[in-house]
Amino acid sequence: MNTIPHAAMDPALQLEVEQFLYAEAELLDARGFREWLGLLTEDVRYWMPTRANRSIREYALEVAGPGEMAHYDDDLGSLTTRVRRIESNQAWSEDPPSRTRRFVTNVRIKPDGSELAVRSSLLVYQHRLEREVNVFAAGRQDVLRRTHDGLRIASRKVLLDQTVVLANNISVFF
Amino acid sequence: MIDLDEHVDLERGVMSRKVFVDDDIYRLELERIFSRSWLFLAHESQLPKSGSFVSTYMGEDPVIVVRRSDGSIGAVLNSCRHRGMKVCRADVGTTRAFRCSYHGWTYGLDGDLVSVPNMAEGYRNELDMSRWGLLRVPRVESYKGLIFGTWDAEAQPVEEALGDITFLLDTFLDRRPGGTEVIGGVQKWVMGGNWKLAAEQFASDMYHSFLLHASAWQALAPEGADLSEMVFPSVGSQMTSQGSGGGWFHDPTGAGSAVLGPVLAADFTDPAVWERLGEVKAGGPIGCHATVFPNFSFLGAFRVLRVWHPRGPHEMEVWSWTLVDKDQSPEIKDAWRRFASMTFGPTGTFEQDDGEIWTDLQRVSRGHIAQTVDLNYQMGIGHEVTDHPDYPGRINHVYSDNAARGFYERWLELMKTPLRPGQRGNATARAGQEVTR
Repeated sequence: MNTIPHAAMDPALQLEVEQFLYAEAELLDARGFREWLGLLTEDVRYWMPTRANRSIREYALEVAGPGEMAHYDDDLGSLTTRVRRIESNQAWSEDPPSRTRRFVTNVRIKPDGSELAVRSSLLVYQHRLEREVNVFAAGRQDVLRRTHDGLRIASRKVLLDQTVVLANNISVFF
Repeated sequence: MIDLDEHVDLERGVMSRKVFVDDDIYRLELERIFSRSWLFLAHESQLPKSGSFVSTYMGEDPVIVVRRSDGSIGAVLNSCRHRGMKVCRADVGTTRAFRCSYHGWTYGLDGDLVSVPNMAEGYRNELDMSRWGLLRVPRVESYKGLIFGTWDAEAQPVEEALGDITFLLDTFLDRRPGGTEVIGGVQKWVMGGNWKLAAEQFASDMYHSFLLHASAWQALAPEGADLSEMVFPSVGSQMTSQGSGGGWFHDPTGAGSAVLGPVLAADFTDPAVWERLGEVKAGGPIGCHATVFPNFSFLGAFRVLRVWHPRGPHEMEVWSWTLVDKDQSPEIKDAWRRFASMTFGPTGTFEQDDGEIWTDLQRVSRGHIAQTVDLNYQMGIGHEVTDHPDYPGRINHVYSDNAARGFYERWLELMKTPLRPGQRGNATARAGQEVTR
């Protein structure tokens, strides 16, 4: 019988990482954007490349590469700018504010030296105004780093499962 | 048939929002605007070699734009001549042929039908394959790297048809001798608003920028900047010609370059570029926002270009690229790419708020009573000049509805003019059209 590779996880580590990701999701749902920036390392790379429909023969090119078009390709500075925008109280795409609910599942951890390579699935339900509903499903590939303050996000690649984004904007973080 | 003059009165500068919501008007646009205007298809850099293709749309019609074996660029309707299925379902790629996944009719890069399964048993070899190639877009021409197509075989050449808007396009496409390229990948998203809301805004509306986008101007200002001291420019011009138009401030290095940051500002105001374009263009038009009629727009200072694909009266699909000078260093190109997604596109600190406005505005426009209340397009009316010493077209203050009125003047003219008898797309004369391509 075939088995797919799945290392037996250290339950304490699994619990720690999951609790970290849940806490992060809760913080974003509660619009704690400034605090959320504190969960990112100084050298964070936050990246959501665009995707395209490709024939199966060229499927390897489905996700845009590092120098290609992205929805997010941010560092801590530009993410801070985005948060400043929301805090200006003139960011109409979040005024009135959205209601969001993040669901984090399928958390898979691979220790890598002092860092952890963590994959997770994310579903963000967003409702705003009267009838605006966006549902974003995404895979996340994170690098979490242990610091004196606990786990921090050193890198996040978000694979949004849409080529044409079915929303009039993306005003949420993933 | 709907009386358009009843809803659009450009001499008085008033318009009914009926033009954004009415199904009959929308159908007429697909016929009289989109099936005879020159439409943006792709940038040449997206088709690097023979067999390279991109899928796009002309109005609601899917087309494939392809680099053919002889190096030329063509475009065909992405619909099999047998039962109408799409013959290409990838957004982009490289191929030797397009094979329909329904029954296997196969077409070459130029659209010729090259293979039909069961030709002998089924068609008894009686099918004249030369008559059943993919429908060709009869005219495909480039202007400085931008590929345009039209269904009107007798349209004037694209450069002539673009006309005065090349004055602005050149500040975008001809900054350096090597020309331009687009960064790989496209941002695509949908907005719940009529396509004209975006097209007219990019042509004409700098008026909205400092309120609607206040949060972005503030957030992108240099750290520690005293925002109360931030003065938004109020001197500038706006042109319109043949439905196309754009606006700019006379000091392109003002508020704009504060948000660009030092590296991109230095590239934007590079003396070599300034010299190549000349004082007139570099002293304002280089930072323009503009629309090439009907649905192609660009932002000079943000290096962004996009198409507003119509998707019924109530929705548009936006496709957005970043354009860079081919001669520029990889670092600067990459900085423009990142700046573009920081400012425009679905996550853009500017554009998020446009999506918000157009969606809500569209919803209000569904109201029966709302449709009886005229919208105001009167800003600057009667103060246009057509003999500006520096600028072509009809010129007004940057804060005016000059180019919006120009956009709808052209729109109205085309909407009231039936296609020529026999012209592809002429709905009233369809029966008389030949079945061949």
